[in-house]
Amino acid sequence: MSADHGHPLRFGALLTPDGDAAVERARLSEELGYDLVVLRDAPAALDPWTLLSWAAARTSRIHLAAAVPTGDVPALLGRAAASVDLLSGGRVTLLLQGSAAHLDEAIDVIRGVWAADRSPLHFDGRHHRLAGAERGPAPAHNIPIWIAGPPDLAPLAARKADGWLPTSAATSAAGTVPGTALSAVAAAEAGRDPREIITLASVRPAPTLRAGDLLPLVLDEGVSTFLLETDDPAELRRFATDIVPALRAAVTCERRARGVAQSGTPVASTFVRRHRREGIDYDGIPAALASTAIEPGDAGYARVRSTYLRGGSPGLVLRPGTPGEVGQAVLFAREQPVKLAVRSGGHGISGRSTNNGGIVIDLSRLNAIEILDKATRRVRVEPGARWSDVAAALAPHGWALSSGDYGGVGVGGLATSGGIGWLVREHGLTVDHLRAVDLVLADGSLVRADESENAELFWGVRGAGANFGIVTSFEFEVDEVGPVGFAQFAVDATDTAGFLQRWGAALEAAPRDVTSSLIIGQARPGQPLIGQIMAVVDADDAETIVDRLRPIASAAPLLDYSIQVVPYEAVMNAPQGPHDAQGEPVTRSALADHLTPELTEAVARLVASGRTYFFQIRAVGGATSDVPVDATPYAGRSANFQLVAFGPSRRGLDEIWDGMSHHFSGLYINFETDLRPERLHDAYPEATLRRLRALKRRYDPGNVFRDNFNITPS
Amino acid sequence: MPDYGHDLLFGSFITPANATPKAVVGLAQESEAAGLDLVTFQDHPYQSAFLDTWTLLSYVAAQTERVRLSGNVINLPLRPPAVLARAAASLDLLSGGRFELGLGAGGFWDAIEAMGGRRLTPGQAVDALSEAIDVIRGVWDTSDKSLFRVEGTYYQVDGAKRGPAPAHDIGIWLGAYKPRMLRLIGAKADGWLPSLPYMKSLDQLAEANAIIDEAAADAGRDPAAIRRLLNISAQTGPPERWAEQLAALTLEYGFSGYVVMGDDPVTIRTFGEEVAPAVRALVAAER
Repeated sequence: MSADHGHPLRFGALLTPDGDAAVERARLSEELGYDLVVLRDAPAALDPWTLLSWAAARTSRIHLAAAVPTGDVPALLGRAAASVDLLSGGRVTLLLQGSAAHLDEAIDVIRGVWAADRSPLHFDGRHHRLAGAERGPAPAHNIPIWIAGPPDLAPLAARKADGWLPTSAATSAAGTVPGTALSAVAAAEAGRDPREIITLASVRPAPTLRAGDLLPLVLDEGVSTFLLETDDPAELRRFATDIVPALRAAVTCERRARGVAQSGTPVASTFVRRHRREGIDYDGIPAALASTAIEPGDAGYARVRSTYLRGGSPGLVLRPGTPGEVGQAVLFAREQPVKLAVRSGGHGISGRSTNNGGIVIDLSRLNAIEILDKATRRVRVEPGARWSDVAAALAPHGWALSSGDYGGVGVGGLATSGGIGWLVREHGLTVDHLRAVDLVLADGSLVRADESENAELFWGVRGAGANFGIVTSFEFEVDEVGPVGFAQFAVDATDTAGFLQRWGAALEAAPRDVTSSLIIGQARPGQPLIGQIMAVVDADDAETIVDRLRPIASAAPLLDYSIQVVPYEAVMNAPQGPHDAQGEPVTRSALADHLTPELTEAVARLVASGRTYFFQIRAVGGATSDVPVDATPYAGRSANFQLVAFGPSRRGLDEIWDGMSHHFSGLYINFETDLRPERLHDAYPEATLRRLRALKRRYDPGNVFRDNFNITPS
Repeated sequence: MPDYGHDLLFGSFITPANATPKAVVGLAQESEAAGLDLVTFQDHPYQSAFLDTWTLLSYVAAQTERVRLSGNVINLPLRPPAVLARAAASLDLLSGGRFELGLGAGGFWDAIEAMGGRRLTPGQAVDALSEAIDVIRGVWDTSDKSLFRVEGTYYQVDGAKRGPAPAHDIGIWLGAYKPRMLRLIGAKADGWLPSLPYMKSLDQLAEANAIIDEAAADAGRDPAAIRRLLNISAQTGPPERWAEQLAALTLEYGFSGYVVMGDDPVTIRTFGEEVAPAVRALVAAER
């Protein structure tokens, strides 16, 4: 077997960490097209790790490594490496030095710190002991661990590292340190594919050095990464212009002649492959998706496995960046005998957007927002944008689009089902503003749908869209919205039914420029039951705001309040950051035309039963009721209120909620987790459901898009 | 003698959350833009929700131009002093003298031990910190051409080459509350950096200052050489009232550095643009 595994050739500069000059040379290396900079350790020079962190902030593309000892606390080195990897957008390599005994343990500790595992890290070695350390953070990418050292470290590198830089003192005639080919046997004995490990060589510049001198190292000793050991800018330049292109050409030519395949992406490492799940053809992932896909052994997994409300352990997260890649993802996923979830912002309740062992198509990279036409206020938004991003993008134009009531929610899941937000009574549902979509269908094809083209599909998207495809682009007509009054009231909700009736009556009587919602939790020991009311008034004068709020705040004894005039985007502002929920939410939801005494007393009993820990009512009505019931699959046009209850147990909540059904006039699908088929009839009138099933049979007869509020084909 | 006469420093205390690295760097840049003098980060290396504070300090230093940086405070038990000294000098050199070394003896021993660190009693931790200060100053002292050797109880250095020397005299500021730590400040450190919410009363500030002053005098040092800084909570009222309170802390309790805790950009702007100039004006008028 040839020592040359066909790894892509990479070139780096091996620099002395001597301060600003080293940073300048790192920047020059980046300009010259080098792939990486390695900072070596030198007595009384700067601390390599500090310099690496600094240089990471002063470069943008080049990868960085610093020769570091593992130290007394390798867990801290793991965290530090992950930190600079996160700050630099995944540009760090860990180059370790030390004795075999220390390195052997330290590498396990570092990989343990990076692992996407919720259990505390225990390690009981001869040199290092960890007693339940927290794991994390996960780095931005799979940080390669390279070992630099004398030849006797080669077997360790073969077992545990991703790269091997031999530092023998012997120098060949060409002025290079010969690579010590890694023992394929040692790798195989450790259960590894020898191709997982790259071999590096450092090269000393010499006037006589030619590409031909380095060629045998590639072909015979398996070297694929060369580090030029110099601090001289002229040498860096000469090597980059004279040697690198010539060596690339020679290697390509020789590899062709010898039948060595040049691989674009290296073989996935053992440490990644060992976490793979059954049923997914990982090696068959389309090339366009492979580089951004995340599997359970990958560094980014902890950040994509779960959603806002749901813990997950998917076997593969695909992250397409174009509609074409979404199509490829769908075609790949539908051939795998596992679940398929689609995620925009990861706030889905009925739309699962994660799973256990299945595939997730994560749309977060499709997040563009653009103004199409100022005169008609037409904007184009991609599904992975968050509503806070949309609000911020529209604000400079004095525009807003009523969406949900939380800015962290993603566009895709909400704009395909309804959208009950802070301006809903004045401006209607988000789907009522939709004018056209592009979507990828179950067969991977991309179609446009609007009132004239694929009109029936366009109808279906506005209330049941997740069943027919993946929308990759939404076109909305948005509204002119200035600063708004945003109010929060805490009230004594002891008289729960009375509070709800008064609040409901106030909303039904209110002009459309006010929208409100309320939340009731569980009383804390020794305190009354607290209700929280939030309200938005689309006005910026105090008189109107107070006038609109007074009846709402009078619904129950007031305990505390705050009223501000803020831009709509401030109401939608939500923190960024990955989701890490655990478990599975249990919810029931419904639409109601009025908060009648019978309904509110039933809610009071539900709250008193302890079977809901979070109960919420949102005002709807207003402009939503101007739209005919058959104009969209969202059919709750007579409803003035949307209710949702989160409970600790499925059975406990269902038992009470099922008994309340005669109070309800429908169901808004996005807050519902009950999977029983009756829910479909709650959400969609018979005629609507017939049309939806017909659409499903036409566009997704195999029910590829099923892990949502699912319309079965028949 | 309450007011020690130092120039005034105003700073921020930003949570080094690793969920949003860009936002953390952004708040540091906002602090600089708001005219603050100092950006600080807590250092709890056993906390997996945080970025490594040292790495972050280095990265942020490279993304700012004027503002000074410090750990608030650096966790000594997980950061060996010889390595720390070299790293601190490196960062000071790279940043053109913008680094200060807030340092703490450590406190969360279960978590430190879980990470693989050494468990010490609180008393031992003070002794170790005292030794560490000697090690750090020894590494920085390149005027001494001898190889550096330390045979301490807690730290050993075996004939290392000294250096690099920092770009400026890095202040060693200790987070401290108890008498032994306060006496260590008087004997060896350049600053005191406690958090106001941990203090029982303003009287406690005065008592602590007195302990530091006495220990300084015992060590033959001028107590005024030791800067007193304070981590404070954000205040909601008018900036003028906040400024009056801080001016009083300077004039009556000797504090000359104020670090506001929290990640709210509005607070950071108010503190830098309104409160800091007002305190400076009030103190200048009184001085």
